[in-house]
Amino acid sequence: MKDVSHYGPALCVKFHNDYVLAGFGPFIHVYEYRSNTLINRCRVFHNNKVHGISISSEDKILAYGARSVSVVKLEDILKKESLVNLERINSDWITGGEFSFDKSQIYLLTCYNKVLICDLNCEVLSRKSLSGERSILYSGIIKVFGPEKVYVNAGTVMGGVIVWDLFSETKIHNLLGHEGSIFYVNLSDDGRFVASCSDDRSIRLWDLHTGKELSVGWSHTARIWNLKFFDNDTKLISVSEDCTCRIWNIIESPENTAELSISNVYEVHLIKSIWGVDVKEDDMIAVTSGNDGRLKLIDLLQLKRYGDEEMSFSLDYISRQCDIVFRKNESIKGFQGFSFGVIIVTSSGKILQFSDASKQWKLLLTDEKFVSYPIINGIQKQNIAVLSNSKSDILLVKFSRDGADVIGTKEFHVDELSKTNNCLPTEYNDHSFLLALQSPNPRDKFLCLEICLENLNIITKHCFDKPDNFSSSCLTSFQNYILVGARFSTVVIFNLLDDSEEPFTIRRLNPGDTTTSIQLVEDKDEFSVFSVTNRDGYYSFIELTKGHCEHSGSQLSYKVLHSNKMMKGFLEGAFFNSNGEYITYGFKSSLFYLYNETNCYELASEVCGGAHRLWKFNAIDDGHILMYIKASRFHLRKIYNPIVPETLENGIHGREIRDISVCPRTNANTNGTLENGHIFCTASEDTTIKLGCFNSKTGKVQNFWTLRKHVSGLQRCQFINERLLISASAREELFLWELNDKYDNRPYMTIRQTLPTSTDNPDLRIMDFDVKFLSQSGDFILATVYSDSTIKIWFYKEEENKFEMIMQGRYKTCCIFNVAFISLKDQLFVVISPTDGYLVVYNITEYVPFGVDVITGGLLDNKLESSVLDLPAPVSQAQVHQSGIKSLDYAVDPTRSSAVILTGGDDNGLGLSHLELDDTNAVLKISDFIASAASSTITSGMLINGGEEAITTSVDQVIRAWNITAGKLTLADKKRTTVADTGSLDIISNHDDTGFDKTLLTGGVGLSIWRK
Amino acid sequence: MGKSSKDKRDLYYRKAKEQGYRARSAFKLLQLNEQFHFLDDPNLKRVVDLCAAPGSWSQVLSRKLFSDSASTESDDRKIVAVDLQPMSPIPHVTSLQADITHPKTLARILKLFGNEKADFVCSDGAPDVTGLHDLDEYVQQQLIMSALQLTACVLKKGGIFVAKIFRGRDIDMLYSQVGYLFDRIVCAKPRSSRGTSLEAFIVCLGYNPPSSWTPKLDVNTSVDEFFQGCSLNRLCISDKLSHWDEEERNIAEFMACGSLDSFDSDATYHDLPASFSSNPSSLDPVQSPTNPPYKKALELKRSGKLARSV
Repeated sequence: MKDVSHYGPALCVKFHNDYVLAGFGPFIHVYEYRSNTLINRCRVFHNNKVHGISISSEDKILAYGARSVSVVKLEDILKKESLVNLERINSDWITGGEFSFDKSQIYLLTCYNKVLICDLNCEVLSRKSLSGERSILYSGIIKVFGPEKVYVNAGTVMGGVIVWDLFSETKIHNLLGHEGSIFYVNLSDDGRFVASCSDDRSIRLWDLHTGKELSVGWSHTARIWNLKFFDNDTKLISVSEDCTCRIWNIIESPENTAELSISNVYEVHLIKSIWGVDVKEDDMIAVTSGNDGRLKLIDLLQLKRYGDEEMSFSLDYISRQCDIVFRKNESIKGFQGFSFGVIIVTSSGKILQFSDASKQWKLLLTDEKFVSYPIINGIQKQNIAVLSNSKSDILLVKFSRDGADVIGTKEFHVDELSKTNNCLPTEYNDHSFLLALQSPNPRDKFLCLEICLENLNIITKHCFDKPDNFSSSCLTSFQNYILVGARFSTVVIFNLLDDSEEPFTIRRLNPGDTTTSIQLVEDKDEFSVFSVTNRDGYYSFIELTKGHCEHSGSQLSYKVLHSNKMMKGFLEGAFFNSNGEYITYGFKSSLFYLYNETNCYELASEVCGGAHRLWKFNAIDDGHILMYIKASRFHLRKIYNPIVPETLENGIHGREIRDISVCPRTNANTNGTLENGHIFCTASEDTTIKLGCFNSKTGKVQNFWTLRKHVSGLQRCQFINERLLISASAREELFLWELNDKYDNRPYMTIRQTLPTSTDNPDLRIMDFDVKFLSQSGDFILATVYSDSTIKIWFYKEEENKFEMIMQGRYKTCCIFNVAFISLKDQLFVVISPTDGYLVVYNITEYVPFGVDVITGGLLDNKLESSVLDLPAPVSQAQVHQSGIKSLDYAVDPTRSSAVILTGGDDNGLGLSHLELDDTNAVLKISDFIASAASSTITSGMLINGGEEAITTSVDQVIRAWNITAGKLTLADKKRTTVADTGSLDIISNHDDTGFDKTLLTGGVGLSIWRK
Repeated sequence: MGKSSKDKRDLYYRKAKEQGYRARSAFKLLQLNEQFHFLDDPNLKRVVDLCAAPGSWSQVLSRKLFSDSASTESDDRKIVAVDLQPMSPIPHVTSLQADITHPKTLARILKLFGNEKADFVCSDGAPDVTGLHDLDEYVQQQLIMSALQLTACVLKKGGIFVAKIFRGRDIDMLYSQVGYLFDRIVCAKPRSSRGTSLEAFIVCLGYNPPSSWTPKLDVNTSVDEFFQGCSLNRLCISDKLSHWDEEERNIAEFMACGSLDSFDSDATYHDLPASFSSNPSSLDPVQSPTNPPYKKALELKRSGKLARSV
């Protein structure tokens, strides 16, 4: 077995010149961060993880973690695959490490607060310690101020921070104030401050000279793992279990005091824990590394790199600058952003322009008509501003490329509408744009004007009949159609070629109310794909297909491809960025956010006061602009495109992966990202399912979606055929998902059906399920097993899209971990494994309204009526394990008269049993049992090559390959994995030229990919 | 163990409340005893409970050793419970608020035992977990090794040591090391410990240290220095950091404890079995909840003071 790639916790990260070095398990990855390239992945330790990296000015790298340490050259790290021959082992855990002032030695701080002074070959020269101190340390660093001035800063488990002088071995301070274990300590470069963080979730700033506590910083909502001074010791950066990175200002006052004040919060990792942080001070870029395996770059000058990111203006200021007088109570009623600046309209019809280049305001015109409920929008690419009022007056203003001149205006009245309460422009084609106008009067038509981009004249006017209760909120066009998003989660499609055609209406697309945006994602001759967002946090992707109907020409139909929900807050819109990542924006309480939904991190945020104020968010040439009114000031917040890549690694789940399932089909889509791709899902303790793709050529994994339907930690997920997946968790949650992967750039997945529940007991968990299809059909039966010992069998009819229970029973009272359908000859069995270590076999052939196909083992529909029956008594059982069976897999022999069953247990045992059919029934026999097959729980096991081989994973972090001959198991290979809490496995059979038969995906805290 | 713990559906939790135990972990020791019967030995006189707070194991020891009313105070049975945290009193248990690694603690225990050695030492202690699996496993093993140091000084030859373990990556290294001091090592999993948890118990039977070795507690020696001279010591202390070498590993025999009829801690029970009193949720928690270090942070969060404002 050979490892291919690994995604999992990155415990430490460091900048060095143009490089970022990060510890991933026993490897150090080196990235050239500006170009976002992984230069090399070098193994520095055999098994231990790299917890810390220190880099000398002479390009030497000190890596340490657990009891391992190594000093290596940067040039080797950049090129070599492995440097494990240099690894040295200490008897105690190494908590911190640093080079000496002249870089000729290293200092290693152990978890017992002792320091080893070593040369660069890791030979110990001397040992230093503080007499009488033996508390174990969770943290500690060594700060080198000079050749003879070296301070050790030890964070104890008892709330004290011990600062001691290395060479005199004397205590300088025992800083008391924190409660609980100290998780990090750091010193400022100027030697004035100590900063520490602990289990109490506070950061404390201390005066190093006096030992006095200067300030306590509260802000983090969970434990804080790392912190660092930067910007000439005037700021602190901290990272935490709450998945945020926070910036603190150190505000000094003359009386030798200083105060910590929170200045910024970045939500950049997935639950839970950010472990590492570093700052490149000359660029003011931070990098963080998390349990999710992500390396996130953060621009610390996002609000002041160009100087105009944050601007705000009072009407007073604008009045003085433009030399105009505003009326009493005059206020801003609308605004629209363009690359050249902003156009605003006031309550007395003044139209003003703000130039981004000169930062000057000027009055464009005053039009008394726009006193009454003015609305302003625009066609940004063409620099056209569109104003409307409630009396159906429209004013179009076209600006020159640089916005300096008005190159055309047009004003007209729309006579067809009695009143106008919405005016939505959208791009249409090369020479015209569209303007949709809505009246609150139900008898009025819905109007759509096609307007010439050149001379702003109306080319055509479309008058459509409106559906009932229609209230438009957003608009887009494609081909000869307009799509109008509306309230009640509705999308209405009008045909511009035929005003009389009945509009096509999609109702209740999401559980929410107002549709906030519609974006064309993919446009093909046969179909088009759109993204639709909803204010209540839901978004979906729909496919529109044009069929042909003899009577009325074109006929539209739609299908939901994807449905998902944001974590919390309001969703106001979404778009794809140039990397094909889905970007969403909206509000969370008083915050506006811009979020990368594909990779799950915040891009920018603004405390603007919330969704209920007047605001607008527009794209501009070099980024985006947010405009809002707060405390009667007009605020402009520019969010520039980032100057460095957002991430160097996107990572995966931040908590344990409980199950992995690979779609049993190589993706046929040969374009772009999905080429050579194996689509797979990971189900995690974090309650989400991720849909990703493993590229067998590059060995890399790309994630597309994080699905948030479950509310409790996942137990299982499994592709039951090439396009359907089932996932299950606590609260009796079981969902049937449909994969849609014939599209460009990304696959989609949507929920198709939910299994009915029986109680509201949140602890009742669906532990496992199995499926058996009817031959040549999309119908199947589903077995579910529960934590209360219940076993249920369901029938799913594809056409009706419905789960119907056909059998129910109970084993005893103990929890059931696994279930499998096994068909032998014409008999159908259900095999379960409860926590008591037994395998229990039920013969349900006579209890289901199906026959069994003796050739394929699939079910045959013998047209019998189904009703809910009781599960019969078991036909055979055997205690294979002492306690819970954690994994169960089986293979049926070619004659279909017996099956081999592989079981892995909490008792470290691996069992091999046979279910054999004799004349009357099936008998279970244990053929082999290896008691100490692993040193801890065997969490997953799979039979491969028709049951001649097996692969197991266990919590001891060993992947084992087994041969099976004559019913006996023999160990063939074992390899250590760096994935902790290893708990899931799936296997891809290779049909490529890699020279390996199988690709193994193993999950736990991280994901490792192996070839066999 | 508060009144509104999320474990309240857990039958062991309810059972602990009913039977007056301070934590459900009492049943773990009881089930270990069902298998090994170490607490049923009439010759069991002196026992030590390390990392004892809040005290449920001490409660079990107290009830087991002093179950028969015939046993009088003149009996030489003694239970000593040691923890850094204070513990409310338990009948027949002498509790010491002390550091288990300190020589003074050893001296106090031996004094209480009249300089006789202990028959049985147990520890249900666990550190706070960080989520760094390798660090958490290491700290837990260090805790066990610290307990084992004291045990080495206090346990009689042939005595028994029981401690909580987490079965992770390097648990086989611990089995291998402890195997040098005892005749038999078993990894025991009581049914009251969840199957989904990595928790188990190392049961070390027949204390049998090398005859040439005299253990000595010293505040300035490390765990490795302590066990130097005993073959357990995996590394000899030298002025070198050793090269990497696959260390000795050994898988201890596994034993599930507690009968199959006992409650399954992984199962969901809808109705209470008849053996329970009708309204156990109204029972007060036996031990009031401890003050966590992040209590102030929780208060600030509840009052909205940690809401994001930047």
